Amino acid sequence: MSTAIAVPRECWYAPAASSEVDRDLLPVRAAGLPVVLFRTEGGDVVALEDRCAHRAYPLSAGDLIGDTVRCGLCGFVYDRDGRCVSVPSQPNVPYGAEVASYPVRESDGLVWVWLGTPGRAGLHRIPELPWLADDAWSTVSGEEEVLASFLLLHENFADVTQVPFVAPEIAPSVLGTTPPPLDVVVSETSVSLHRDFPPAPLPEWQAEIVGCPLDAPYRTEQSGFFPSPAAWIDHWDAQAEDGSWIRLRFTHLVTPIDESSSRLLWAVSRDFALGNRAVDQYLEGIFTDYYDRVIDAMEIAQEVLEIDGPGPEVNVNADAVGVKIREIVAALLTEEGA
Amino acid sequence: MTETETRLREFESDLVVESCEVIAEDVVAVTLVHPEGQALPAWTPGAHIDLVLTPEITRQYSLCSSPADAHHFTVGILNAPDSRGGSRFVHENVTAGSTIRIRGPRNHFPLVSSPRYVFIAGGIGITPMIPMIAEAEAAGAEWTLLYGGRSEASMAYIDELRAYGDRVTLLPGNDVALMSAALDQRLGTPQPDTLVYTCGPEGLLGAVEQRCASWPSGTLHLERFAAKATEGSVDVEFEVVLARTGITITVPADRSIFRAAEDNGVSVLGSCHEGICGTCETVILDVDGEVDHRDSVLNAEEQASNETMMICVSRCSSGRITLDL
Repeated sequence: MSTAIAVPRECWYAPAASSEVDRDLLPVRAAGLPVVLFRTEGGDVVALEDRCAHRAYPLSAGDLIGDTVRCGLCGFVYDRDGRCVSVPSQPNVPYGAEVASYPVRESDGLVWVWLGTPGRAGLHRIPELPWLADDAWSTVSGEEEVLASFLLLHENFADVTQVPFVAPEIAPSVLGTTPPPLDVVVSETSVSLHRDFPPAPLPEWQAEIVGCPLDAPYRTEQSGFFPSPAAWIDHWDAQAEDGSWIRLRFTHLVTPIDESSSRLLWAVSRDFALGNRAVDQYLEGIFTDYYDRVIDAMEIAQEVLEIDGPGPEVNVNADAVGVKIREIVAALLTEEGA
Repeated sequence: MTETETRLREFESDLVVESCEVIAEDVVAVTLVHPEGQALPAWTPGAHIDLVLTPEITRQYSLCSSPADAHHFTVGILNAPDSRGGSRFVHENVTAGSTIRIRGPRNHFPLVSSPRYVFIAGGIGITPMIPMIAEAEAAGAEWTLLYGGRSEASMAYIDELRAYGDRVTLLPGNDVALMSAALDQRLGTPQPDTLVYTCGPEGLLGAVEQRCASWPSGTLHLERFAAKATEGSVDVEFEVVLARTGITITVPADRSIFRAAEDNGVSVLGSCHEGICGTCETVILDVDGEVDHRDSVLNAEEQASNETMMICVSRCSSGRITLDL
């Protein structure tokens, strides 16, 4: 039985942070395609098909020379548009010698690549994540390759009932005892959730960073947002009794590598304890550990799906967000004719 | 762990009319923006939104702006003589600066990727075709548009469409014989790898449906914004199992499944309550008896498959249904 979930291609994905793309050839796989990223001498990011038109060999194993890439096996040289401009064995370039060149945009410190029909790139939006590139926020982040489908990751992020089980110590204490009503808002291609927690102590890790008493009550507003298959965003905004706010943004950039594996770029941004390296290290530790546990759980779920196939699954009302994400992805795939 | 109450709703927001322009005889294009300039939800060609005009009048209009524009929704509205009040309300009351509540977008008329399209629009049915044509063009697909109307002056977007040259055929004059011949010419012989999209008055939709009967299934995509006439079937009481919630409810003869679910404290999505907007589409998990589909969203094939139903109008003529609610 096939457990493969087709991957939407008509979507802007962020397979790398801007800081990772420089004057080197960086291979990434996205939506089932091999891609090589590099930065031109002028500073633009270029995304080319990572396979020489001559023989099966990744261009990323070759050399970046000026703004061209030379195949490490046969010496074909490609320009930034993917056109072969020279071959070593003859004066003329053979007809048809080119590799795909993919539309690229850089925003909020991320490299977004379009792997769908080239003309459609301009009709689709890139999620706005201003906190990732704003001095009013400090961010810690990590990157993992996950042996689980992009859809499992999204369903996990959307599933507000899992956190107290997967990571009880990082969840707000009230989540386990008196979860407030969950508001779910849907539209054609996006879904969001929102809930307001009554005043309660912050999780211990957060109280430590803020430097408030462990029992200081904060009123918390949580929002989660699925703007496209490329991202899941969480806002956790907490207000102290004196009216002041502390805000957290959890950004999950999900790039399907293929049907059953994904790249996850996670970032935790805060608008307090800015630029404090000790806090960065502390948060990196906590959240690397948290995402490792999430990833382990999702890899186990993927394994079950691969061994035993998709079984009948039971939904509860709180699954409304995850169910809607599945519907949105199914509709995107139908529109792609997949 | 105590229970989590889940309240489900569609995106809803009060938007401001940035412009309300006459773009053809009796047709206005209303462009809406968020009062604080916030981005509006993304959508794809074929999508529509609800305009909540008065507590009693909520109407569906296709989006005809560009999906790439995150800040504007534009709808084209005809002041139809047989209006049930929605379009007349807009024409008489809406001006730049007015506030209108919107809901959605949602899409039951999605543009499926294809190398070739035949677009057929009648009158104000041109509106969803505008972003569809832009998308087909961007994707490098081949396409033609047949666009009929009362007169050139009454046909919206005619100048933009003329720029596409001979791919666009305009048929002003409400000439039934001409339209019929044009439909025969385009749809008489099934073409490979071609999808047909149509929107317009019932007469046109029927004529297209009839000619597409011999095309491969899945070829024809059409959108109705009026309830199809349904035969007078008798409403009876039946049971519905709400699987997610874990309860079984009785739907009385004089209540819809939608209302009965609400009566039992279950949060369900819905909007038009006439079986035309598709908001309340619900997955059917099991049927013991007959589902009586009364909506205008699903085609005959989709209704026969019993995979989903519109719980605002469709019922069960006997037995019980299990729904993913």
